Amino acid sequence: MYILVIGCSEVGYHLTKALLASGHEVVVVEKSPARCDLLTEELGSVALQGDGTDQITLKLAGANRADVVIAATDRDEINLVACQMAKHVFQTGRTMALIKDPKNEPIFQILGVDVVVNSTHLVLESLEERIPGRPLLRLMNLRSSSMELVSITIPEDAGVVGRRLGEVELPPRSFISLVVKSSGVERPSGDLLLDAEDEIIAVTPSGGEQTLYDILTGI
Amino acid sequence: MRILILGCGPLTTLLLASPDSADHQFTILSGDMDCLDDLADEPRVITLLTPEPLMQDYLQLGGIDNADAFLALSEDEYENILTSQIAKHIFNVGKVVCRLENPQLQQFYTELELEVVNPTLDLLQDLNRALQG
Repeated sequence: MYILVIGCSEVGYHLTKALLASGHEVVVVEKSPARCDLLTEELGSVALQGDGTDQITLKLAGANRADVVIAATDRDEINLVACQMAKHVFQTGRTMALIKDPKNEPIFQILGVDVVVNSTHLVLESLEERIPGRPLLRLMNLRSSSMELVSITIPEDAGVVGRRLGEVELPPRSFISLVVKSSGVERPSGDLLLDAEDEIIAVTPSGGEQTLYDILTGI
Repeated sequence: MRILILGCGPLTTLLLASPDSADHQFTILSGDMDCLDDLADEPRVITLLTPEPLMQDYLQLGGIDNADAFLALSEDEYENILTSQIAKHIFNVGKVVCRLENPQLQQFYTELELEVVNPTLDLLQDLNRALQG
């Protein structure tokens, strides 16, 4: 596949390295001559020095034959412009952008960026996974429906311990998709008895995770 | 009208000083503390110092939810592009204007139906007109 990477931030560099290693044809458009030199030294002639939001530079980089354009500069604003250019001027099939401000995710999606990778969200997820006593994990953002797949572990003192699943009132549009017990994985049914340390895998509207968390872990 | 402006520079201060703006309420978002300080005594202006890079939370703090107009007049064209599109597509602000100096970006975003102003180009047209006259 021919992949165009805009911006050689740290992420851009490691991404390019990984893409090359998996056999893709990659060109990186990077503004800083020093970073371009570094890229050439480390990875061979993959760098094109220039502005990734400039149409002439993008054309030189072969944007019109790129299968994927990945905007990976360290600024959300530039990543948006690069993706919009790729999509509207060069009809790139798939545009992907890296963002830092989690609140920018919806606007990128509305404006047609195909894949939005929220680095803050990723860091948060991996930290949450390791913080004891905070058993709420965001597993996946179900993009098109603005829903979130989450995992919530029921603490010992939670009010729902010893109650049946059917008795637990869930927030609107939320549902349980799986219950992981120490004895194995159970499909959710109204009769299923909830125990401490059960892991609940649920789907809930984005932003509403806390309500579900409070219901399942509240005393 | 409640008008939210991103950017504090000559364009913003000129706009505030113009008689046409006398009836409006303004909120100015900017990272330029000195420029905001100069506006602090204006009774119809609220100023809000923003961090670098600007976070969307600050647009909400500035009242974008209830603004009648949003003017992205900062010197950072990319910031103007992102915030204008947020104002238009997320908060459905009735009037959105985006300042862009780069002619290529200006043409591209005009085609994407953003209302774009280019002070340099306007100045050039005025100069040409003056020379012809």
